[in-house]
Amino acid sequence: MNTNRGVLRGVVLLSVLLVSVLVAAAVGSVSISPLNVGKMLLSRVPGISVADKSWTEAEELIILRVRLPRVLLAAVIGGGLSTAGVLFQGILRNPLADPYIIGVSSGASLGAASALLFFIPAGIGGYGALPLFAFAGAVGAVFLVYRLGLAHGRIQATNLILAGVAVGAFFTAVVSFMMVLRIQNLQEVYMWLMGSLSGRGWRQFNTAAPYVLAGSAAAVLFAPKLDVYLLGEDTAHSLGVDVQRLQKQVLAVGAFIAAACVAVSGVIGFVGLMVPHAVRMWVGAKHGRLTVYSFFAGAIFLLAADTLARTVLSPIELPVGIVTALTGGPFFIYLMRRG
Amino acid sequence: MWKRIAIEFAAVGFAYGAKEVLRGVSFTVKGGQFVGIVGPNGAGKSTVLKLMDRLLSPSTGEVRIMGRDIAGYTLSELARLVALIPQEPEYFPFTVREMVRLGRTPYRRGFSPFSARDEEIVEQSMQEAGVLDLAERPVDQLSGGERQRVTLARALAQAAPILLLDEPTNHLDIEHQLHICRLLERKAAEGMTCVAVMHDLNLVAAYCHEVLVLDKGHLVAQGPPGDVLTPGLVQAVYNVRIPALRHPVTGRPVIAP
Repeated sequence: MNTNRGVLRGVVLLSVLLVSVLVAAAVGSVSISPLNVGKMLLSRVPGISVADKSWTEAEELIILRVRLPRVLLAAVIGGGLSTAGVLFQGILRNPLADPYIIGVSSGASLGAASALLFFIPAGIGGYGALPLFAFAGAVGAVFLVYRLGLAHGRIQATNLILAGVAVGAFFTAVVSFMMVLRIQNLQEVYMWLMGSLSGRGWRQFNTAAPYVLAGSAAAVLFAPKLDVYLLGEDTAHSLGVDVQRLQKQVLAVGAFIAAACVAVSGVIGFVGLMVPHAVRMWVGAKHGRLTVYSFFAGAIFLLAADTLARTVLSPIELPVGIVTALTGGPFFIYLMRRG
Repeated sequence: MWKRIAIEFAAVGFAYGAKEVLRGVSFTVKGGQFVGIVGPNGAGKSTVLKLMDRLLSPSTGEVRIMGRDIAGYTLSELARLVALIPQEPEYFPFTVREMVRLGRTPYRRGFSPFSARDEEIVEQSMQEAGVLDLAERPVDQLSGGERQRVTLARALAQAAPILLLDEPTNHLDIEHQLHICRLLERKAAEGMTCVAVMHDLNLVAAYCHEVLVLDKGHLVAQGPPGDVLTPGLVQAVYNVRIPALRHPVTGRPVIAP
């Protein structure tokens, strides 16, 4: 009985994601029907020929070169952040944990801000190096937090969280300080700090997607052990789980996914905190389901949020991080109150 | 009847950093016994229990499980021999059945499906612990007594010959206290070795086959409760005077002011 319901839920989520991709790609300053978007994509699949090509060359260019990569990137980032959120909430056994809790966001911000403010001249050709800077910053910060969070060579969740908060505050202050010193690229830095997918294309998708998808697949493999781990470290040990090793692996994979996301999208908040909770209310705490469904739910959520971000005030783009918090916050409170 | 030795401590010492918690502790626990570990706060009771499941490793001496040095087992081998119920188990919104099924972890690999035997053991464990009627309820909505029974069912599903419990009757009402003690008594009769850290000396006196008394990191007495839990020992270890009372029906010691 449970298997059937699980399959049904999976089918529902996949269909919603597919439809969301088509609709989101269709929406924008040039409006194209989702049906045509679907046909356009089908016509690109080898072996399938679509009879009536009722769209223009320009429309095809807009969809395939501009909107589709961004839409897919939003889905991957949303899925990745939510999966990382599941991992951190599980391994730290803390409902307030999110993908940024052990320094990913502040480290990435420092990397990105240094890149934007000091190393890469405004606007031009910066995008090749920016993700690299952000990723390096994220990984560096996580490593620092990890070292600070160790007590007698063992990982202690509370120490780790406190170290994350302290390192985060310090790095954030450094970023603010840098912003005071250099004001010429502030707009870009600001957009980045709030998280934005503006102007992202296939290049960013190709940069981040393999890592995020591989990391998320690895996250699913942790599921059985994370279930046992939820019963407490001593119980997990008694059930044959190598607790220390699990902690290290899960933290590494979670931080890796989050760093890959942040590197191309900036700090998109709230997704990684909220989606796992919402999904947990829906499907329960077992990690197999929770991880998979969180990935898809997060993908759909960020996709929708990003579509709003680029259309609501068109032609001005909002940072998607504002949209995720503005829409996700009230929705989450609604879920909580409903119990 | 001779029964195989399940647990053996050979001159075991343990120190947290510079702080010595246990010194030269030696004892054996035979299979199929319900053994209570008692002693004042800080005597080292929980440390002894943790050493029995390799949550800690001895600083000196050797801990043997089923005749073999505990350090020689892999974690999953050990998990098939020793089940542990820690002092304050944590609960997440799993259903009772989901939680009990986690007890089968040592026998499974990753996402492998449950065998008919796994399912059978899960059902039987829930039945024995008296939680079968709660099977589909979320654990975090149960009372403290019900939760402890669910934890016990989870440990029984582990099907290990040795069961360790750290203060299993704490915070429970008398019905649940007796329920758990009787269950352990029954499991011991079936051949399971049950070792429990307990504060309630009367429960130990009433149900345990043997009692280990620890004080300041030393083992000060071991034997049947009727021989060990004398007013003299209680005064020496707990520094309180009690009269020498016996239960009018069972003849076992009764510890009362």
